[in-house]
Amino acid sequence: MAQPLVKKDDDRDDEADYSPFLGIEKGAVLQEARVFNDPQLDARRCSQVITKLLYLLNQGETFTKVEATEVFFSVTKLFQSRDIGLRRMVYLMIKELSPSADEVIIVTSSLMKDMNSKTDMYRANAIRVLCRITDGTLLTQIERYLKQAIVDKNPVVASAALVSGIHLLQTNPEIVKRWSNEVQEAVQSRAALVQFHALGLLHQIRQNDRLAVSKLVTSLTRGTVRSPLAQCLLIRYTSQVIRESATNTQTGDRPFYDFLEGCLRHKAEMVIFEAARAITELNGVTSRELTPAITVLQLFLSSSKPVLRFAAVRTLNKVAMTHPMAVTNCNIDMESLISDQNRSIATLAITTLLKTGNESSVERLMKQITNFMSDIADEFKIVVVEAIRSLCLKFPLKYRSLMNFLSNILREEGGFEYKKAIVDSIVILIRDIPDAKESGLLHLCEFIEDCEFTYLSTQILHFLGIEGPKTSDPSKYIRYIYNRVHLENATVRASAVSTLAKFGAMVDSLKPRIFVLLRRCLFDSDDEVRDRATLYLNTLGGDGSVVETDKDVKDFLFGSLDLPLVNFETSLKNYEPSEEPFDINSVPKEIKSQPLAEKKAPGKKPTGLGAPPTAPASTVDAYEKLLSAIPEFADFGKLFKSSAPVELTEAETEYSVNVVKHIFDGHVVFQYNCTNTIPEQLLEQVTVAVDASEAEEFSQVVTKPLRALPYDTPGQIFVAFEKPEGVPAVGKFSNMLRFTVKEVDTTTGEAEEDGVEDEYQLEDLEVVAADYMLRVGVSNFRNAWENMGVDCERVDEYGLGPRESLAEAVNAVINLLGMQPCEGTEVVPSNSRSHTSLLSGVYMGNVKVLVRIAFGIDGPKEVAMKLAVRSEDETVSDAIHEIVASG
Amino acid sequence: MGLWEAFLNWLRSLFFKQEMELSLIGLQNAGKTSLVNVIATGGYSEDMIPTVGFNMRKVTKGSVTIKLWDLGGQPRFRSMWERYCRAVSAIVYVVDAADYENVHVSKSELHDLLGKPSLYGIPLLVLGNKTDKPGALSKEDLTEQMGLKSISDREVCCFMISCKNSTNIDTVIDWLVKHSKSKN
Repeated sequence: MAQPLVKKDDDRDDEADYSPFLGIEKGAVLQEARVFNDPQLDARRCSQVITKLLYLLNQGETFTKVEATEVFFSVTKLFQSRDIGLRRMVYLMIKELSPSADEVIIVTSSLMKDMNSKTDMYRANAIRVLCRITDGTLLTQIERYLKQAIVDKNPVVASAALVSGIHLLQTNPEIVKRWSNEVQEAVQSRAALVQFHALGLLHQIRQNDRLAVSKLVTSLTRGTVRSPLAQCLLIRYTSQVIRESATNTQTGDRPFYDFLEGCLRHKAEMVIFEAARAITELNGVTSRELTPAITVLQLFLSSSKPVLRFAAVRTLNKVAMTHPMAVTNCNIDMESLISDQNRSIATLAITTLLKTGNESSVERLMKQITNFMSDIADEFKIVVVEAIRSLCLKFPLKYRSLMNFLSNILREEGGFEYKKAIVDSIVILIRDIPDAKESGLLHLCEFIEDCEFTYLSTQILHFLGIEGPKTSDPSKYIRYIYNRVHLENATVRASAVSTLAKFGAMVDSLKPRIFVLLRRCLFDSDDEVRDRATLYLNTLGGDGSVVETDKDVKDFLFGSLDLPLVNFETSLKNYEPSEEPFDINSVPKEIKSQPLAEKKAPGKKPTGLGAPPTAPASTVDAYEKLLSAIPEFADFGKLFKSSAPVELTEAETEYSVNVVKHIFDGHVVFQYNCTNTIPEQLLEQVTVAVDASEAEEFSQVVTKPLRALPYDTPGQIFVAFEKPEGVPAVGKFSNMLRFTVKEVDTTTGEAEEDGVEDEYQLEDLEVVAADYMLRVGVSNFRNAWENMGVDCERVDEYGLGPRESLAEAVNAVINLLGMQPCEGTEVVPSNSRSHTSLLSGVYMGNVKVLVRIAFGIDGPKEVAMKLAVRSEDETVSDAIHEIVASG
Repeated sequence: MGLWEAFLNWLRSLFFKQEMELSLIGLQNAGKTSLVNVIATGGYSEDMIPTVGFNMRKVTKGSVTIKLWDLGGQPRFRSMWERYCRAVSAIVYVVDAADYENVHVSKSELHDLLGKPSLYGIPLLVLGNKTDKPGALSKEDLTEQMGLKSISDREVCCFMISCKNSTNIDTVIDWLVKHSKSKN
């Protein structure tokens, strides 16, 4: 290809930058390594060969045992050379080879000699290598020299000994601990790096002794730490001490805060930043404490160094999560960072602004972001989309502009992950903000008209099938869906057919027209599409055959498959085609590793299309199916609520057990999910003995033990209790796992005949008032509150006594009630003296409850609150007050 | 090696110092490191620590520079002796002549080592050390017990020395210097 001449020159320049070692080969270099054995050594050439070997190793090349040993021994021959440069390479090479060569001990004596040499470079490096290859017995021999080296007047030697100490502390702590005095002396060194390493080692030696660390920090914060690096370490240790002592001090000034604040005026930027970050990360930091730190971070925002800008904006981003008000001062500086060349800085700035912005600034921000989106990479765009999603949930009234923004960026170019993030966000907004539903669905419809991702198309079609028929005018979606049947690949066509069928089933007025469309699909070129069309025409009665009952059809179309898909898949794979048809009832219903999957669920972000319709609802569904399959529980009525799993064992114990509390009107069922983590054991007749002596209103009615619990296959034990109907009874239960243990031969997998009875103490379990409350949010609290009316309102005031902070009190009350905070009112602005929280939920018996709590805090941290409850039933309103009064 | 280079070496040997390389082996506590010290400085110390690995020393005697690989004698190092004996001018094997019990161990270690093909033909010097101690073996007994007569594929020599009293050290140095010439 013809290229301009200038370009060629550029290429040549590029080549000049390449490493001189590029393209060297292991075999050839190993050949070259023979020069190490020459009687007359060429030190320069040997150094070059070692450099090549090191280059190979660092490029990920591996030497076989034989090669490594061969090279190692020839390298040791180089100890005869007195060339300082070569000796240095020898040290490096030995360090690099030491893990793979057993014989590395052979250089010990030579290194010990070098360690006491007159050349400082020999001493420092020999110490580092020696500590790498040494073992306990040898260490006691050389300990004396190491101690001397720590206080050596040459900083390179001292640093080498100190760093070696840090490494050796892992393997031989008792020896290194004896060096405290020397290390302490080194902390006072004038050399910056020695001070840094010494402080690091001293702290590690003492790290398990809180008092000693505290003393160390106390003396050093008063004293003279010159090295900026050491000062940074000291700040970290100080904040650790503050964290641990904070619980002891009730009121008054925070210890060491003055020190941290003083560091904000240090001349080294890294110290200033470290101190500022430490202050922002203090537990329960007040805005008075935050102010100076925010001020220096604000200065960094306009620094000319990108790294400072990045550090500052990242820290502010974190602060914005807890103290949005404190960061607002920096908003102007951050807005200018949106156009920063460094896209990481820009993205952090924008997301911080989204967190701190108030309702009025949303429009302006959105305008800026629109300009900014086109020139950042996809992964940053995803961060922005997620920030916008949470902003929208915070200010539901602004959904229009935010939804518009999302639909605009949806139309632009972008990769799969990015598009998926946008679609997920729109789906979540549709779900949580009813007003946004129609416009959101239309945006999605437009998107699938021109969507290159099959996965997204099918997911959106599925979602349309569920939500579309419930809208005011379902017919307008039909065109978009039917277009898919013409234009897309087979997978998308098949899902479009299913979606059409759902519209037909739900909307009677559309049925005849849907039949026409489905009949056309019978001529599709793809089997699956034709099959589906035929199936739906039959079930919906489109071909004039027997129409099944409406309920059956809806169950068939909308009911979820009552089976874990993984189990279903394995069963289908195992099924051999034969006369006997596949029996769907033979698929096991136990959900393997279910506890694990659930444990993640609470912390997870709201999932979009991934788990339709909603993640929590689907677990409730799963539980409901599981429980209704057990005949003993059949007459308990409808399941009201299932709690998140509560761990009853420590992590990584022999048996791992967690419990899910299922609340019914007149019963409570405990589902114990047990896993046996010992391959050599089989547990039989596993049951949980529950002692309800501290739960007077409960009486045990049914226990369903587990016949066998083999290794790593989770099983469930159920224990049911009767309780007074409609009463939020609370109590504490103690649990004991009882079972018969049988030894298993792990090679054959067979268990022995005889077993031993044993038991295993589990942690206690409590049923609390919050278990009778469902967390259900409302989109517009004010409207809901007004609609509920004052008829069943109950208002009362409570004193909560002294609390650590207002935020802590608010959290405690929210957790006590187990209700959903609305409109972001769970976040208390720092330093405020009063706060109002809005909560909503559904109480036992499906009664909607709204709560408005006004908190106030006075001088000695006494918190009082005024609790107003509105619900559809005044007894429920009273019950809420009861919970608070007794909590 | 080319002719020209051989000629250069010959020239160098006329005008400059000659070099030789020795490896010093034997069981632990035979007196190898003491021997190095005696040869290098003439000093002797009772209080020695075991050599962990090897020491490399260069000693100049007259016009000959001797590179000495002084290897540790503990069992864990014995398998590595061979690595440091390849291509040396001579192997010096030190035996504690007053430690009867270990002479047969010393003998089998020596014969194992000499069996290695890589060391074929390298001259061997066996030194019976510690003759100052009462009851030390005589040269004949040592030659007998070490089975030196059976070694036929190389030049073998045996001296009785005492590092403590510097007995016979000169003879050893003379022998070594003489063998430095035979290398090239």
